[in-house]
Amino acid sequence: MTTMTSTEPTRRSSSTTNADAIESSAPSTQAIPLGDRPVRVAILGCGQIADAHLGQLQRIRFAEVVGVCDSYEDLAYQAGVRFNVPQFTDLDNMLQVAQPDVVHIATPAHTHAPLAIKLLHAGCHVYVEKPFTLDVAEADRVIEVAANTGRRICIGHDQLFDPMWLRARQLVQSGAIGEARHVESILGYPIDGKFGALVKGDPNHWVRKLPGGLFQNTISHPLYRITDLLPDAEPVLLGNWLRRGGLDFPTELHIALEGEQVAGSLTFSTHLPPQRITRIYGTRGHLAIDFDGQVIRRAARPRMPGAFAKLEMPWRGFWDSCGNLGRNMWRFACGDIHYFAGMKNLFEAFYRSLQQGTEPPIPVAEIRRVTGLMDRIFEHCRSQDSQETT
Amino acid sequence: MNTIQRVCLTGATGFLGRRLVQRLLTDPQLQVRCLVRPTSDVDTLLEPLSPEQRARVEVVRGELHDAGYLRQGLAESDVVYHVAAALGGNTSTLFLNTVVPTRRLMAAASAVNVGRFVLISSLGVYGTRELRRWQQVDEQAALDPRAEQRDPYTFSKVRQELVARELSAELKLPLVIVRPGVIYGEGRSLLTSRVGLQVGPLLVRMGGSHPLPYTYVENCAEGVKLAGLVPGVDGETFNLVDDDPVTGHQLVRYLRRQGQKIRSVWIPGMCIQPLSWIYATYSRWSQGQLPPVITPYRSAAIWKPLRYSNAQAKHKLNWVQPISTEQALERTIAG
Repeated sequence: MTTMTSTEPTRRSSSTTNADAIESSAPSTQAIPLGDRPVRVAILGCGQIADAHLGQLQRIRFAEVVGVCDSYEDLAYQAGVRFNVPQFTDLDNMLQVAQPDVVHIATPAHTHAPLAIKLLHAGCHVYVEKPFTLDVAEADRVIEVAANTGRRICIGHDQLFDPMWLRARQLVQSGAIGEARHVESILGYPIDGKFGALVKGDPNHWVRKLPGGLFQNTISHPLYRITDLLPDAEPVLLGNWLRRGGLDFPTELHIALEGEQVAGSLTFSTHLPPQRITRIYGTRGHLAIDFDGQVIRRAARPRMPGAFAKLEMPWRGFWDSCGNLGRNMWRFACGDIHYFAGMKNLFEAFYRSLQQGTEPPIPVAEIRRVTGLMDRIFEHCRSQDSQETT
Repeated sequence: MNTIQRVCLTGATGFLGRRLVQRLLTDPQLQVRCLVRPTSDVDTLLEPLSPEQRARVEVVRGELHDAGYLRQGLAESDVVYHVAAALGGNTSTLFLNTVVPTRRLMAAASAVNVGRFVLISSLGVYGTRELRRWQQVDEQAALDPRAEQRDPYTFSKVRQELVARELSAELKLPLVIVRPGVIYGEGRSLLTSRVGLQVGPLLVRMGGSHPLPYTYVENCAEGVKLAGLVPGVDGETFNLVDDDPVTGHQLVRYLRRQGQKIRSVWIPGMCIQPLSWIYATYSRWSQGQLPPVITPYRSAAIWKPLRYSNAQAKHKLNWVQPISTEQALERTIAG
């Protein structure tokens, strides 16, 4: 099965940001490596995404789930009973009784920063589901506390560790498509889906109250798939958000990001069926990464001239499809196709970094950069919105 | 309970709720208050009603997590029918939308001195795994002790019942529980998981000789109505299933005779357990590459041949099935 090994390179951070300054200036305390013992993990918040965390944690041999906690006793109960782990409704009690090394924060976004700060002060390492915080100011506070307490933080940018993305990165680094120049990221998110319907039906839903509304809770994934290849700290932004279908809050987002070497475009649409697709365009071809289909389609520029190229292209597409089919058949036979495979890989990489006392898989500067970019996108859209209104 | 004048219900715009409102309004003295979400479409609820009936319906919009709204919505109600429930989603979503609102609703009902709280549960809550084949299942049968091993919906309904019983005792709120079978009617497919599993365009029929615990939505609504209005049944539980149940084989044959094209494969009853074991073993080995939706435990609970009794509803509620099973099937297919 595909796993992240300790030699797997961490996500590089190619921009110098305030987070670096925070890390270097703060009187940081060095975290003590956990060593080879199993990592004790607790989950805070037992909603939908907690199921994915618990499911993937069951697959990690060197992790032990020591507790789940939710202020709703029924939610804590269902998670505790199904995954056979102790359940709590009070965070302090869980910390005292379960003594976790790492706590995963899987609560609504507006609670992330205060909970992360509390947990860091309590001596826990913290894994925060996306989005990291409500804005970069909150992110800075969390990063500072982590530096002061010598505890590690990790963000749930798990699709960067999905087998498809890891392979796409390898292909890009091997020069399969030349130099990467543009990344196009699409997220289809039907508003009548399981979670979207809740947001749509409740004017007071917590998602609607986020600074970036529905997008703040959802665009992290397509955005970090762009920023992973777009190193600029502050790319130029174009685009806007839109309201459709008679809804009183924005549901469509189209943003272009212009960096110095690489550009990107992000499309979030509630009118598209669920899909997670990213295309990387290079100087010699492109890759289409379909996370749901677990395939990468490669397209290179034709080598044959004129009409012969029209035969060459489908022929190469045919062999590319055969390769994808063969790989997925092998993975299926090995029991290696899992929707949240990237999450497991990221957990493992984070826990190994804690055991060995090495840098976490996603640098703090990268967490801050993506959070800051989201702030800028929402600010940009708000200003466009107000211009159109006036 | 004194004379009942006002009843209140949640889930009034849903499949069962709409029919329950219509049934309640056949009683000319009843005022019906419907608690609906801010964005719910009430046209389908109000359109079938006469002007006189509409005048007796009050729609109050709000969210079930708003305690103030609930107290206001339930005020001066003699009976509360808690019909709203999530049918789909993962376990946490179902708990959040089924169990948590039940707690709030019962607390609010107790605070405003509601005379009776009627909870719509499910026939699926029984621990049928432990029962003998063809055993009769009445209201005395135990709840599933390992409900977490069942599907998320059943798990949430078992928990909801337990919570409701606990709160009823704690708050001294009279409780009546109704356990309908699979509710069908116009607009809903008759081919449910009790018949088999839909795999893409193919129906995998599981067994087929066991009687299906179905209830037509109008019949169910009548039983639920009575559970709120009949005096002297506080603390009771009622199964609601129709008489003359059809089997899976009969239903598929009937639908084919009516011209429906059903592509299916048949798994004989004796093969269900071994195949479930193989599937569950593979699911475990592959660490969930195929989710554990079929396990020996679940299969035994859903497809074991059992007979569900509706004698208590007939005896204590004087429930008589208003629409025969044959008529109900005809209406469903025509609708």
